[in-house]
Amino acid sequence: MNEATNDGVERSLAIWEILSVITSCLIAEWVITAVVGASSVLIIVPIIFAFGFMFWSHRLRGESLREIGFRFDNFGKAAQLLALPMVFATAILIGIGYYNRSMDFFRWRGGGAILGMPLLGIAWGLLQQYALQGFINRRAQIVWGPSIVSILVVAVLFASFHLPNPVLMAATFVGGLVWATIYQRAPNLFALAISHGLMTWILISTIPSSLLHGLRVGYKFIG
Amino acid sequence: MPSLTDPPSEDNCGTLMDTTRSKLSRILIGKSIAETVFVGLLAVGFFFTAFPPYFHGFGEARHDSISGWAVNNRAPWDRVEVQLFIDDRFVASGVANLSRPDVQQAGWARDEWHGYSFPVSNIGAGVHVASVYAVHKSGGGIRRTLQLLGYPIRFAVDENGKLADLVDRGPKK
Repeated sequence: MNEATNDGVERSLAIWEILSVITSCLIAEWVITAVVGASSVLIIVPIIFAFGFMFWSHRLRGESLREIGFRFDNFGKAAQLLALPMVFATAILIGIGYYNRSMDFFRWRGGGAILGMPLLGIAWGLLQQYALQGFINRRAQIVWGPSIVSILVVAVLFASFHLPNPVLMAATFVGGLVWATIYQRAPNLFALAISHGLMTWILISTIPSSLLHGLRVGYKFIG
Repeated sequence: MPSLTDPPSEDNCGTLMDTTRSKLSRILIGKSIAETVFVGLLAVGFFFTAFPPYFHGFGEARHDSISGWAVNNRAPWDRVEVQLFIDDRFVASGVANLSRPDVQQAGWARDEWHGYSFPVSNIGAGVHVASVYAVHKSGGGIRRTLQLLGYPIRFAVDENGKLADLVDRGPKK
């Protein structure tokens, strides 16, 4: 096989890998939730498929945890890159909350532990950022290189996972753009997870609950 | 060691050996097949849960009612909840628990208590269509589905309000 063909096959495989993970997410969000309900244990099946596949893919491609972004050496650089957009987004969200009189930093889970839920949010954020950046972003870079195109693809996919919740789609599209850009500069999933958890907390605490629809996505949003 | 700004294509996930590509492709195909089978099983499972194919029944127009019987073959001792629609409009709801020894004798039910009868009055003269549905709850009561029992019943109502079944069922025994 010549180099051009090799490259084409490589890209096709990477696109297929992205599509495969998207399919699993959509099955979980739309099919399982519609057919057996979001609380069903069956929801774990597509999650196992997706994560199992991602692990296999990393292994076959010889990607180390460090390359994927489970590292600390570039934590400072990633945190530095995240700081400005986070401060900017927080200011806007607090402005919206102040204007709508909807600010309540204890709102998450009805005023449960102020640190408990954000910590859970960080853990949940790590899972999401791993799939989004550690897998999809890396595969998108194989296809389109580290560019605005691959960043846009990641952001659009992240937003589409939150269909049809309009506020979450808008928030995740913007968040996706920022996190994908920073990941391409400093691949550190821990910094992104902390940012994800904190921004989720600030979003929930400032945007009126009626607009967030309980963070419901997929069939659960309409069902 | 890749630098922080290296795209994946410049480190070890950029170019793959043929065998690795082949393995990755096979895993992708396997995952696709597994997910297709999983979604297919879910769809069939959902259909069996929401619309179980175990309901059987029959209905006809009598002089002053729509009557018939309904059985759930999966739970033959249960009494089936039924709903009557006339011309696609809900009319009445009830439970098929009236005596129908002929149904048991014909082998359709284990006991005779599977009959239903909905009195029909205040309906305009002319031709109408009645449909009787078995009601089934699933998902812990969050879903209720209707399944047609037998066939829609075409009947006529005369000026005196008497019903006449328009389905030709052959000579009466």
